[in-house]
Amino acid sequence: MMAQQTAPSAAEATTQSESSRLAGILTWMSQNGIFIFTAILILFALIFVDGFGSLMNITDVFHRAAPIGIVAVGMTFVVISGNYLDLSVVAQVATAGVILIAVSNSYGLFPAILAALAAAMLFALVNGTAVGIFKANAVIVTLATTFIGLGLLRFFSGGSIFFGPPDGPIRTFGLGKIGPIPYSAIVLIIMTIVLGLLLNRTNFGFLVRSFGVNESATRLGGTNTALVIIGAFLVTAVAAMIAGFVLAAFSNTAVSNDGVGYEFRALAAIIVGGTSVFGGRGSVYRTFLGVIFVSVLTNILVLSGISFGYQQVALGVLIVLAVSLDALARKVAQR
Amino acid sequence: MSTTISLGADESTGTWGRIRRTASRRTEGRGIVLLTFIIIMVALLEPLALTAYDVTLGRIALIGIVALGLTAVILMGELDLSVASTLAVAGVIMASIPDLALGIVAALVAGLVVGVINAFFVAVIGINSFIATLGTLFALRGLAFVLSNEAPVSLANKDAGIAFGQPLIGPLTPRILIFILVFIAIQLFVSRVRTGREFFAVGGNRQAARDAGIPVNKRIFTGFMISGFVAALAGVINTLERTTADPTAGSTVLLASFAAAIIGGNYLKGGRGSIIGTLIGAASLGILQVALTISGVQVPIQQIYIGVILLLAVTTDPTSLRAVRGSLRTFRQSRMKTPDG
Repeated sequence: MMAQQTAPSAAEATTQSESSRLAGILTWMSQNGIFIFTAILILFALIFVDGFGSLMNITDVFHRAAPIGIVAVGMTFVVISGNYLDLSVVAQVATAGVILIAVSNSYGLFPAILAALAAAMLFALVNGTAVGIFKANAVIVTLATTFIGLGLLRFFSGGSIFFGPPDGPIRTFGLGKIGPIPYSAIVLIIMTIVLGLLLNRTNFGFLVRSFGVNESATRLGGTNTALVIIGAFLVTAVAAMIAGFVLAAFSNTAVSNDGVGYEFRALAAIIVGGTSVFGGRGSVYRTFLGVIFVSVLTNILVLSGISFGYQQVALGVLIVLAVSLDALARKVAQR
Repeated sequence: MSTTISLGADESTGTWGRIRRTASRRTEGRGIVLLTFIIIMVALLEPLALTAYDVTLGRIALIGIVALGLTAVILMGELDLSVASTLAVAGVIMASIPDLALGIVAALVAGLVVGVINAFFVAVIGINSFIATLGTLFALRGLAFVLSNEAPVSLANKDAGIAFGQPLIGPLTPRILIFILVFIAIQLFVSRVRTGREFFAVGGNRQAARDAGIPVNKRIFTGFMISGFVAALAGVINTLERTTADPTAGSTVLLASFAAAIIGGNYLKGGRGSIIGTLIGAASLGILQVALTISGVQVPIQQIYIGVILLLAVTTDPTSLRAVRGSLRTFRQSRMKTPDG
């Protein structure tokens, strides 16, 4: 019985063209390549890059990876829902940091967190309404809200740098670590697990993924798709807020251009992790691996004395190559 | 009911009907409303922005030139986010070459090359243009830093730059004249040249365009090369006027040029739009910016104004309004169905 069933399928497989095997390889690479690439990169760094394995450097990698990673695991929701990305995390990270330091200096920590949360919800509401209800292009909407948010922040903060008190809960959190792992990296790990469960195990997560696969089918299934989109932007905004807190706590300062480059590095981590920019496919755990890959790569470049410009070129090329792999896999599979 | 139908029939034949039909076919409506509103407000509150028209024209040219190239790509339903860094890279390339003419040529060629690279990833590999050009946006920004050693590069031939800033014909500086030339060239290209008119078909329905024998991939290459070239041209003009090339240039250009194109009624999904619309959008933003600057409004606040206008423009195009009406209808129907509603 088993042999009879497998025989025709095996015959079919042999008659199938090279292209389907190629498609299989490409799809597998674009989805699972990150595991191999990350392992190879870390091995390479340990062997060839001086100082990579030192305890101080590992702590440094974690410190730098944490805020970017927290933004990235949150933004994964927007990407999976098929809305490309949320550029306005640039403004969101900075807003949260400045509010945390500035408001807690004069009113205390708790009002500061509430104010930052209100700002994050406002960002999510504007982005989510424009994209979910008005069906506007997410790239353009979030480009507009980036400038609105940064403009408001620069106006109210006067563009000045805010310094936190030399001791207190923010400073304690920013400096604290368990072994070589700083608290900020533990926040990233917790965020990854929580958002991973939210995406894989809840109704909301299922709707985000199904919206990314087929928007109209999700709507015809009786879902209020606008709420799903607003929810995806809310997850991103809350994550960006926490990233802003972590960043501000680490340096104990906050300024309105703290978030510059975050949209780009977070997107690089998401795409390299194997989440598809075409929507529907991906996971928060992959994004976590992507964050490690991008952070280790950046660290190697920094340790090798390669300038900031080349780092940007490398990450830009990395994004385009990773998306090309995904697109080619789709193209070959469709043929 | 019957009277409205007969009225409609009468309207479609009369002068009024012709105006209505033209209005429904054109896409510049919102742009014209915004421009009229801004002109009236500025005339009442800050008339200096209109009387000092050479300054205002210069600002419109600054915003508009990149937007004109962008429109060619938007007509095909694609986006080119990389224009901001193309502008910076072109400026840096031009300033690092001592010979002025050679520098300008190299910068413009660089713009074309960027267009070819973008189009390759969009048309041949099949990546979404938002993501592909976002990647090149950052890669090129990095390249601008690398080429300039992370500092502004001064132009070797400063005299040429100073001469470039002076009015050439009447009050018109070379920048304004180049802007007008680019406007006429692209307008003629998309309305009178077959290749350009096919952009609308590619944006409207790509499969239908392919079936009709239009070489879609070639048109995408043409479009991205136009936007890359025009962005590089803007970089050359900026470098000449300021006599230095700043590797960080162009981040505010991104917002303003997209805002100009979208206010002008160009559909992001492609197929509908016009170069004149982009001009109207650029004029609205230029007049607004000059008026705000004269009345002493800080730059962050100006960016809020432009951001809000862009947000309004992108959420009030007919497809968006139809989507909102659709969801309202679904909402009402779902309310009617629920027994306790």
